[in-house]
Amino acid sequence: MSAVATPARQNTGGIRARTVNRIVIYGLLALFALFYLMPLFVMLVTSFKTMDEIQNGNMLALPQAPTFAPWIRAWSEVCSGLTCVGMKGYFWNSIKMVVPAVVISTLLGALNGYVLTKWRFRGATLVFGLMLFACFIPFQSVLLPMATILGSFGRFGVKLQNATGLTFGFGNPTVNLVFVHVVYGIGFTTLFFRNYYEAFPNELVKAAQIDGASFFQIFRRIMLPNSLPIIVVTVIYQFTNIWNDFLFASAYAGSGDVMPMTVALNNVVNTSTGVVEYNVNMAAAMIAALPTLLVYVLAGRYFVRGLMAGAVKG
Amino acid sequence: MAFLEIDGLKKRFGAVEILKGIDLDLEKGGFLVLVGPSGCGKSTLLNTIAGLETITEGEIRVDGRTINDLHPSKRDIAMVFQSYALYPNMTVAGNIAFGMEMRGVPADERQKAIDKVAKVLQIGHLLKRKPSQLSGGQRQRVAMGRALVRDPKLFLFDEPLSNLDAKLRVDMRIEIKRLHATTGTTIVYVTHDQIEAMTLATKIAVMRDGEVQQFGTPAEIYNNPVNLFVADFMGSPAMNLIPATIGSNGSGFSVVMEREARQPISLPLANAPAGLSAFQGKPIIFGVRPEALTDPEGAERNASNIARADCHIEVIEPAGSDTFAVTNLGGKAVVARLRADANIQPGTVTPLAFNLTKAVFFDPATERRIV
Amino acid sequence: MSTVAETSITLTPEHDARPGASVRSRLQDALPKLVLAPSFAASVVFVYGFILWTIYLSFTNSKTFPSYAITGPRAYQRLWRWTFESDPPSSWYTSITNMGIFGFLYISICLALGLFLAILLDQKIRGEGMLRPIYLYPMALSFIVTGVAWKWFLDPGLGLEQTLHQWGWTSFHFDWIKNKDFVIYTVVIAGVWQASGFIMAMFLAGLRGIDGEIMKAAQIDGATTFQLYRRIVIPLLRPIFLSALIVLAHLAIKSYDLVVALTSGGPGGSAWLPSNFMYEYTFKRNEMAVGSASAVIMLMTITAIIVPYLYSELREKPR
Repeated sequence: MSAVATPARQNTGGIRARTVNRIVIYGLLALFALFYLMPLFVMLVTSFKTMDEIQNGNMLALPQAPTFAPWIRAWSEVCSGLTCVGMKGYFWNSIKMVVPAVVISTLLGALNGYVLTKWRFRGATLVFGLMLFACFIPFQSVLLPMATILGSFGRFGVKLQNATGLTFGFGNPTVNLVFVHVVYGIGFTTLFFRNYYEAFPNELVKAAQIDGASFFQIFRRIMLPNSLPIIVVTVIYQFTNIWNDFLFASAYAGSGDVMPMTVALNNVVNTSTGVVEYNVNMAAAMIAALPTLLVYVLAGRYFVRGLMAGAVKG
Repeated sequence: MAFLEIDGLKKRFGAVEILKGIDLDLEKGGFLVLVGPSGCGKSTLLNTIAGLETITEGEIRVDGRTINDLHPSKRDIAMVFQSYALYPNMTVAGNIAFGMEMRGVPADERQKAIDKVAKVLQIGHLLKRKPSQLSGGQRQRVAMGRALVRDPKLFLFDEPLSNLDAKLRVDMRIEIKRLHATTGTTIVYVTHDQIEAMTLATKIAVMRDGEVQQFGTPAEIYNNPVNLFVADFMGSPAMNLIPATIGSNGSGFSVVMEREARQPISLPLANAPAGLSAFQGKPIIFGVRPEALTDPEGAERNASNIARADCHIEVIEPAGSDTFAVTNLGGKAVVARLRADANIQPGTVTPLAFNLTKAVFFDPATERRIV
Repeated sequence: MSTVAETSITLTPEHDARPGASVRSRLQDALPKLVLAPSFAASVVFVYGFILWTIYLSFTNSKTFPSYAITGPRAYQRLWRWTFESDPPSSWYTSITNMGIFGFLYISICLALGLFLAILLDQKIRGEGMLRPIYLYPMALSFIVTGVAWKWFLDPGLGLEQTLHQWGWTSFHFDWIKNKDFVIYTVVIAGVWQASGFIMAMFLAGLRGIDGEIMKAAQIDGATTFQLYRRIVIPLLRPIFLSALIVLAHLAIKSYDLVVALTSGGPGGSAWLPSNFMYEYTFKRNEMAVGSASAVIMLMTITAIIVPYLYSELREKPR
């Protein structure tokens, strides 16, 4: 639409000038493509090389004898600090944290968006604004109090265990992280659904009211079935953010076998005992990157939409 | 006692008064059209009847029962929306049956009701489709089906035809009128289109700025508008509203209109309304509909008071069924409706016949009709 | 669409207290607010409450554990003193100068590069569908993965330097990642690598949204391609600049993870940003009050940027 088609009049400079122009443009674009691809490429080829080849060969060269050994080591043997059990446990830690956090925050965001657009009340914009601001604060400013609260959850869990034999999740680091990610994620999920439902016709809600549907029936039967695009966007956005989080993870589950993937990866890479196995480190990094890369490859369009929606109110 | 009664209804949003005391009533089986320009409050009024918006003051009764505080689903009403508001995730059948499903009607009864309505509206072949697979007219039918299946006391229509193209709109208008005639339901209908109002209604309420300007039958509204707004709003082409003065010619009054570079026209009034005597020598607005301003041969034969005057024709608009001629009186473009075959040329001076029996007069200060 | 009221105030369900309304129907009326309440309460407590708590802590002398006796603005006085301690630089001095360098370079390079790439891609490029995802994918990675990748790539003994040496350019020397004066610039490189593709996508969306007829009119008026962009297109992209600026400022102030993964803080903490300063002082150096004070300063900075933006975005737009 907006692409500038060089008007014919300016072509009098000749087809050659135009061709040179195109070559320069394509050359620049290719150069930048290299810039963006290079680190991923290096990471990938290194993860399939033997240590020998890394020390004696060229970083950019393709592996002479590709080996899956670094990946296997990274998955099940690599050391994080002093424990050498591989990334697999941490990978599942991340999954166990991400899935509930994404589901809960998305559902709450959908309900909030529904209330804020279809059941508006005085002060709704202020309420929304206050919730939205939560997305933008540097989390350092809540890090300490949250640590204190989570600590008291833990003590409460111990009491519960003494009394009933069960902690009900109180004090469990994974549960803590789910809680933290839900609390600081609903601002964004609410933003996504609010903006989507803002454009959702009010007449449908009115018609459903006349048909006798209740508040929740309207939500379940009318709103949710028509929200698939924004659900996909929100789930992807939340999944990526929570999977990639490092600050909360390192503050509240920063050691032991409860670490999520990002913290474990950082520990693996910075473990200074013994010879540094770069190929295994790179394989571990690839394992940490794969879930989000996969989402990006499979649903790139929604991924971009989520980023945009998070950036621009629209 | 009327079937639908609205007494002193007021609606405020904060300090803004949207409805400023509405009084209306409608007999059983009547067809009430609320008409007015954008922002006049007609849709808000309809929403308060539906229970989709609360009211600040006043009372709404249906069949003698006050429904102010009832939930929309408990009011025994059905509503057809401007956008049709069909649930996009459900089939046509699902849409029609949703209300019954919510009320817990058993599946086999629902199916029977769907089949019956589908037959009436001839949408049987569409029942399994989703709304997105329907044309505009089909959606309109489904929306009406969803309303019909409830068999409500009161039908509410919110500008149901405004999303259709011109031809389909005429077809559906006739369909709605037929439906009303055959089922005998009571209908409240909102539109900004005065032709819909005239053709469908048994009663019209013309609204402006949250007030009912005039409430009456279509003929009353058309022939006896109470003020300048109603006169101007109803009718197409609109009524000519010409600045004039009242003169006297011995026995009676006359209406005098200025013309550019010509002598003023003076038309004798045979049976002027009594109120006009107070305006002698003063400015008034003289209202005459285009069909009451014709070529002399086309003038109504049995009208008692016809005056002729030579007019300078500026523009001719042949519209097929009629020919419209534009002249200038009192500094305003004035439209006359002539027969299609009237022999008339732009730029010429031609005699026109003013049917003064149908003329109305307004006080320019209050904008009210002089009676 | 007929009344002003319907469009500005959508549904007004019966939530006004009505005479004679039963308890059950009042509960029904309050339901929407009840549904929203937990989320709102969570925001109030865990965001605003915690912010106040952090502010409170910054006025105590908390060390390893929180102490709740107010001892005055000592932490702020220390930060203030450190602000001017440049030789040898205090950690705080390093953090805020790094923030200035990183913030300025990261934001301006991302904006410039993003706009440049977007304009290039907008020239009816064959293969745009393939290039766009290549520019954008780093945004899907975590800062940690980005850090690990670039740490390897920039390592003098293993990465780029070593590769160029093998290719025969033996005089090439690039050890910024190990140099305390330059390490912050490697954070800029990695940060730009990660975010500039996304900024490109924002600008590209903006370019695609520009009315084609305006462009045609400008061409008929005789504008060259360069003039067209400088005089017409870029001014029209103003709102995108604003949004991109907000996104980048927000990312920049949170770039804690990248510094950790890429540089482990750099030699002697020379790559610290205020976010690293806060974390280290709070959890490693047992100076909780100072850490809290630095968090408050970060919050103030971001608030000064975000609040006017949110206010202008959420203000009821004139219809």
